[in-house]
Amino acid sequence: MPPVETENGPIKARIQELIDTNPVVIFSKSYCPYCKKVKELFKELNVKCEAVELDLIENGSIYQDVLMVMTGQKTVPNVFVNKTHIGGCDKTMQAYKDGHLQQLLGAESTAYDYDLIVIGGGSGGLACSKEAAALGKRVMVLDYVVPTPLGTSWGLGGTCVNVGCIPKKLMHQTALLRTALEDARKFGWEFSEAVSHNWETMKTAVNNYIGSLNWGYRVSLRDKNVEYMNAYAEFVEPHKIKATNKRGKETFYTAAKFVLATGERPRYLGIPGDKEYCITSDDLFYLSYCPGKTLVIGASYVALECGGFLAGLGLDVTIMVRSILLRGFDQDMANRAGEHMETHGVKFLRKFVPVKVEQLEAGSPGRLKVTAKSTETDEIIEGEYNTVLIAVGRDACTGAIGLDKVGVKVNPKNGKIPVNDGEQTNIPHIYAIGDILEGKWELTPVAIQAGKLLARRLFAGSTVKCDYVNVPTTVFTPLEYGSCGLSEEKATELHGEENLEIFHSLFWPLEYTIPSRDNNRCYAKIICNKLDNDRVIGFHYLGPNAGEVTQGFGAAMKCGITKEQLDSTIGIHPTCAEIFTTMEVTKRSGGDIKQAGC
Amino acid sequence: MKKSILIARNTMAARLLVRRIWAVSVKDFRRLPAAASLSSSSRFSSLNTSVHTRSFLSPSRSLPLSSHRCISFNVQDQDDFTERVINSDLPVIVDFHAQWCGPCKILGPRLEKAIAKQKGRVAMAKVDIDEHTDLAIEYGVSAVPTVIAMRGGDIIDQFVGIKDEDQLDSFVNKLIGQ
Repeated sequence: MPPVETENGPIKARIQELIDTNPVVIFSKSYCPYCKKVKELFKELNVKCEAVELDLIENGSIYQDVLMVMTGQKTVPNVFVNKTHIGGCDKTMQAYKDGHLQQLLGAESTAYDYDLIVIGGGSGGLACSKEAAALGKRVMVLDYVVPTPLGTSWGLGGTCVNVGCIPKKLMHQTALLRTALEDARKFGWEFSEAVSHNWETMKTAVNNYIGSLNWGYRVSLRDKNVEYMNAYAEFVEPHKIKATNKRGKETFYTAAKFVLATGERPRYLGIPGDKEYCITSDDLFYLSYCPGKTLVIGASYVALECGGFLAGLGLDVTIMVRSILLRGFDQDMANRAGEHMETHGVKFLRKFVPVKVEQLEAGSPGRLKVTAKSTETDEIIEGEYNTVLIAVGRDACTGAIGLDKVGVKVNPKNGKIPVNDGEQTNIPHIYAIGDILEGKWELTPVAIQAGKLLARRLFAGSTVKCDYVNVPTTVFTPLEYGSCGLSEEKATELHGEENLEIFHSLFWPLEYTIPSRDNNRCYAKIICNKLDNDRVIGFHYLGPNAGEVTQGFGAAMKCGITKEQLDSTIGIHPTCAEIFTTMEVTKRSGGDIKQAGC
Repeated sequence: MKKSILIARNTMAARLLVRRIWAVSVKDFRRLPAAASLSSSSRFSSLNTSVHTRSFLSPSRSLPLSSHRCISFNVQDQDDFTERVINSDLPVIVDFHAQWCGPCKILGPRLEKAIAKQKGRVAMAKVDIDEHTDLAIEYGVSAVPTVIAMRGGDIIDQFVGIKDEDQLDSFVNKLIGQ
């Protein structure tokens, strides 16, 4: 088309001049969303770009014709970087994703290797990294499990999958099955063989399932285009980390933003023999032998859950408690869960702390001597156990990841990281989620939610923040304890005892009646705020299937359910959960809440 | 230097495996009537049993030979995979498996049996996905067992999950073009 050539000669020259003299030129239209997206990209990369708005200049359509001849592309945006034609929005985004764009920009760009680096491949870190990658960002996640003092190690997925919720609940289920076997005879099942439990079979089955989950996580990172490194990450500069792999090889990566999701690991006691001879929950689920007679030190939920299922397997279990059970949880409920354990053979050694652990005999399991002293008197006691499990709390893994080098504030007492309501640390480009947060829940689903929402806020313009209020949770003690909202203690502190109405009731699950066990053990309690329409602000349930029962009430509380609405809800009969629709006795009244047995 | 170490290491594993496979193939041989076996075995006798037997019976340092001839082996690393799978003269069945995978434990021996029947016309590479995660990720393994049929470095065919012996036979036959 020679005539076109000559007519448009000056415009062609003008276009060529723009391309030659600007690092980035975008032929654009002011109203076009794709153009806007491209412009935002360069803005984010901190690269100056020349945008030529073809709908606002004279001869804009001729520009388009000429561009068509020059590039074979008539549509906008039409992007040139350092004299090279890139193409439209998709092509530009792709070039950005595969690094081609950064190469072309060369020294003029301040681009980092990644948009986001997530340190920690647990529930929170994985959720955050996958969400960010799904939003088109270049994301790397680093995960590295430092083996326990006894050498236990595991795969990708963090505490919940490997040494927490998953193996814990499977072993809890193992224990429940024993009770079911006992109940079965009362329901007419006749079996002659002596029932025994094989630890090795259970452990292998649980570990195999975990193995499949580890692999599933790895695959989902690949499928979502998240770069994964099995390496220990620490900051060396504000935007740069050093990654050290198993073989000690070091590599360095930079990112615009970081999310800390390193989680926690069990705390040791700092007494002679603890790291040498004792195990923690990090070891228990991978123990190759049955632990035998076990001393559990601590009264955390980890302690009660582990002690509970070990006793449920038929082992001799003692729990050594310094002061109270389940600190932070509703104490009325905690004590009821503890009492139930006591009636089922778990021994509690209260107001004692261990002072040393000595090995009497090595083996699988061996024999250990534990010396403990009273917290109140000078009394010293000694005991002999096959296994000592320490469950006195967990420490945030924030001490050795170079946070001091970049100035991230850490609570020196517990290693936790204070963040604002957007999970941002004091350093603006560094965020934190999950168990390492100061004053937040240490729960997998909370970390997942926080991670996902954070990625959306960082990369998709969302403003939705994680709601840490009315989080339902369950402690899998032998008699499970589910709760949502405030404990009685916390509700009293916040609202004043006089402004609360507490309804409660014992109940006897139908399935317990024929085996005639655990009458007047299961317990339900709701705390209502009298000043706010009797809104339910605390929900507590001690009974079978607590997680299943509590989940739905959690949704109801999110919707702001009141006592009146609970009362107008129709129960499902015969269930345990129906008790919440017929709560009449207030705690204040001192009325009888016992269920009459048959 | 690196290569020789590699081969030595492979051979350790290979020798163990050869012992197992050899036992299987001898058993198969015995089962075959002499006449019937003639046509199928004669074509490959130079390739298969004789060499096989030799490499096993004389665990000397004739390493390059045996590393090529062994039928079933555990992949040791990325380089090993390149050498013995991608650059293999024989077609190779790659069995991506995991310790924690129940079906893998059923499929693995079945697959070895199907491959032993081919008397050296096809090799079998076993990849533990937890030990060689990068390989499994690279080859798009999402679930195990995943079995990939390769020839000249190209993926010819693949399946995920468990198959019965007949299905495995036809899978292997297809690869070697029967």
